[in-house]
Amino acid sequence: MNKLTGRIAAIQCNSHMSLVDVVIGSDTLSATLLETPEVAEYLKIGNRVSLLFKETEVSLAKNLTGLISLRNRFAVTVRSIERGDILSAVVLDYAGKTLTAVITTRGMDRLQLAIGDEVEALVKANEMALSYDL
Amino acid sequence: MIQAHLKKRLHGVNGEFNLDVNFAVAEGELLALFGDSGVGKTTLLRCLAGLEMPEQGCLTVNNQTWFKSFHQKTIPFNLPPQQRHVGYMFQDYALFPNMTVRENLEFALRKGSDKKRVDELLAMMSLGELQHRKPETLSGGQKQRVALARALASEPQLLLLDEPFSALDDAMRSHLHDEVLRLQQHDGMTAIMVSHDVGEVYKLANRVMLMEAGQIVIQGSPAEVFSKGQTSGKFRFTGKILAIEAMDVLHALTVLVGNQIVRVVATGDEATLLHVGDSVLLVSKAFNPMVLKLEK
Repeated sequence: MNKLTGRIAAIQCNSHMSLVDVVIGSDTLSATLLETPEVAEYLKIGNRVSLLFKETEVSLAKNLTGLISLRNRFAVTVRSIERGDILSAVVLDYAGKTLTAVITTRGMDRLQLAIGDEVEALVKANEMALSYDL
Repeated sequence: MIQAHLKKRLHGVNGEFNLDVNFAVAEGELLALFGDSGVGKTTLLRCLAGLEMPEQGCLTVNNQTWFKSFHQKTIPFNLPPQQRHVGYMFQDYALFPNMTVRENLEFALRKGSDKKRVDELLAMMSLGELQHRKPETLSGGQKQRVALARALASEPQLLLLDEPFSALDDAMRSHLHDEVLRLQQHDGMTAIMVSHDVGEVYKLANRVMLMEAGQIVIQGSPAEVFSKGQTSGKFRFTGKILAIEAMDVLHALTVLVGNQIVRVVATGDEATLLHVGDSVLLVSKAFNPMVLKLEK
């Protein structure tokens, strides 16, 4: 499980759902949640939370251009690669923090990923969960 | 309306502790008691039924005193069980062994009640075929249905159920959830139920009290009590790992959740921390599960 810790910067909500912006270093990442500040006390601006997302939900892109609906995209460096038949694990450096992306080996080959490559990591806001310390 | 403030010393597996509870139950409410074994849930039911006497406190039901520790100076007042008009379903059923299923139910009827209620309950519990059998010839699930029917037979003002559905198969449990809920609402019975089944509590209870070592630690609606967690994942289950198998850069975990076996994917790092037999929490975002309607 990937984990990034930061502070809540903004919360947009309707009756049941919230879109929470979390500042991680110089980036702002977003999570859509099926809860609101009314029922979830930890949803307060300034609160320290961690974004959790599964390795298999991280996509990688090289030289991405054009418009994309994804909210969460951030620059990472490939640190190591564990190659499998179908899936491969790509270990990434994100501003000193370690993240992992598990993508198809076919996809990795298409990007011709190599150690040291600077790529973009993409995660849908739907796939981001929040954890918090009480 | 029930108002209870009861204290009693209990002997648990880890030594003595105090049952110390203070709560109220509104008329017609269905309250669930939830918690590990040995925290005092059954003792609390027995105190409410008058089968055990608390050491301190008071219990009033619809403005009538059922228990008071200092009634006349130091002499406590404890209304006898037979005057409390309670329907009690025991965890071990406690059926009368010398009576048939029908006789067990008829015995529990209030004087002057219509015997039609026995027929209704036998039908509701699918016990018609077994009505002339003695309890010793019944399976565990059948005995549990007789015990539940007997608790309902007297049209009690207070229904106390100690794990009423635990021995039933899924289809019968679901059927009886609906029937008990219908009857409880129809008769306006106030009910207190011990359950270890989160799904059951969600479906039946208006309110749940979580008990630990004799104390009520959290109470509220099932949604409030059970959703207090540390992650925002809405799709969360506890399970036990049955198998861990490596595949490519990932691992496949086989996990028993309730009585269903599921398979989930873990990364290598996660898998190194896990062992067969470990309890795990499976968490997913509320957005992920696809929902397919099942044909009945």
